[in-house]
Amino acid sequence: MARCSLCDRPAVYLSKAGGKAYCEHHFLRYFDRKARRTIRRYCMFRERENIVVAVSGGKDSLALLHYLYRLSRRVPGWRIMALLIDEGIKGYREITIKDFLRVANELGVEYRIVRFKDEFGYTLDEIIEIGRKRGLPYQPCSYCGVFRRYLLNKAAREMGGTVLATAHNLDDIVQTYLLNIIQNNWDKIPKLAPVSKGPSHPRFIRRVKPFYEILEKETTLYAILNNLYPEFIECPYAVHSVRWSIRRHINELEEKHPGTKYSLLRSLLRIIEILDRYGYGGEGEIGTCSICGEPAAHDICRACLFRRELGILDNR
Amino acid sequence: MAVKILFANDGIKEVDAVGMCVGELLKKLGLLVEEYIVVVNGRVVTEDYVLRDGDEVKLYPVVSGG
Repeated sequence: MARCSLCDRPAVYLSKAGGKAYCEHHFLRYFDRKARRTIRRYCMFRERENIVVAVSGGKDSLALLHYLYRLSRRVPGWRIMALLIDEGIKGYREITIKDFLRVANELGVEYRIVRFKDEFGYTLDEIIEIGRKRGLPYQPCSYCGVFRRYLLNKAAREMGGTVLATAHNLDDIVQTYLLNIIQNNWDKIPKLAPVSKGPSHPRFIRRVKPFYEILEKETTLYAILNNLYPEFIECPYAVHSVRWSIRRHINELEEKHPGTKYSLLRSLLRIIEILDRYGYGGEGEIGTCSICGEPAAHDICRACLFRRELGILDNR
Repeated sequence: MAVKILFANDGIKEVDAVGMCVGELLKKLGLLVEEYIVVVNGRVVTEDYVLRDGDEVKLYPVVSGG
């Protein structure tokens, strides 16, 4: 069995791209250094920051909450809070909330749970049903994504957050990058930057991805070693779409040619730079939704547009 | 001469894999090393760990759909 390259204890992780093996102790040190380097490299946090961590109860977001909370104890100006959006997916979300509460209570971190039902008057399950009855062309993930992003920004601001941290890891990022290339969605690529300064709007909270350079295998191992790995459960609406095939292909490539994922990430960062030069930076001014007052690319934000189409605008 | 494999979705399977390394076992199951963390008898191991009779292997998926 492989031995740690640094101390000769049994290894728990092989970094093939880096050509090193790590024992538990040295893996956690490697993980910490990598995450801190990412945070520093992309100037994610300032000296004083109210960091809201977006948590789903899955392994990656629990790992992020655990990691940032521990790191914050070394930085006096940082305050960590957790935010979970409960869409109302029966048989799924109540289980991940249980995992979230276990970790949040163990850490003693402040948290808020925001529910679709309270904010919009309906759960996601009910919204999908209404959409079907009305013959709307949207997939469950479209409603979920739009409403969740809307509430993450709104609730983080209401909590006094100065920055919103999400648990996107290197694998998530490069999968989305390839997906956008395949679908010719160049305008979505700048959103894959490690820091989304976003449009200049007083109600927009800056977003950061501290696990940007960390592989999903590494965040999973961090979760297992820190006893955070939750009960395994999949969202009932998850569809095995083109993203699943892309993921499988990238993982096969990585096994045959270690370093492929890092290489794809470097390619993405270069493309973002080039797009920025041609004015596709995703920055600049943005309007205000005439219905709810939140940031909006058009007269009405996507969330209010969906609510209008669903006929649930008055249920706020 | 078998090892017991515990899957995340509660499935259990006994496989004749003694003498095989973890990487070969995953391959035999049609799985990728990139997509699993393997715990044998409660300890995280790397893919070159050689399986012994009676080992209990737990597979933690790295990828999830939710």
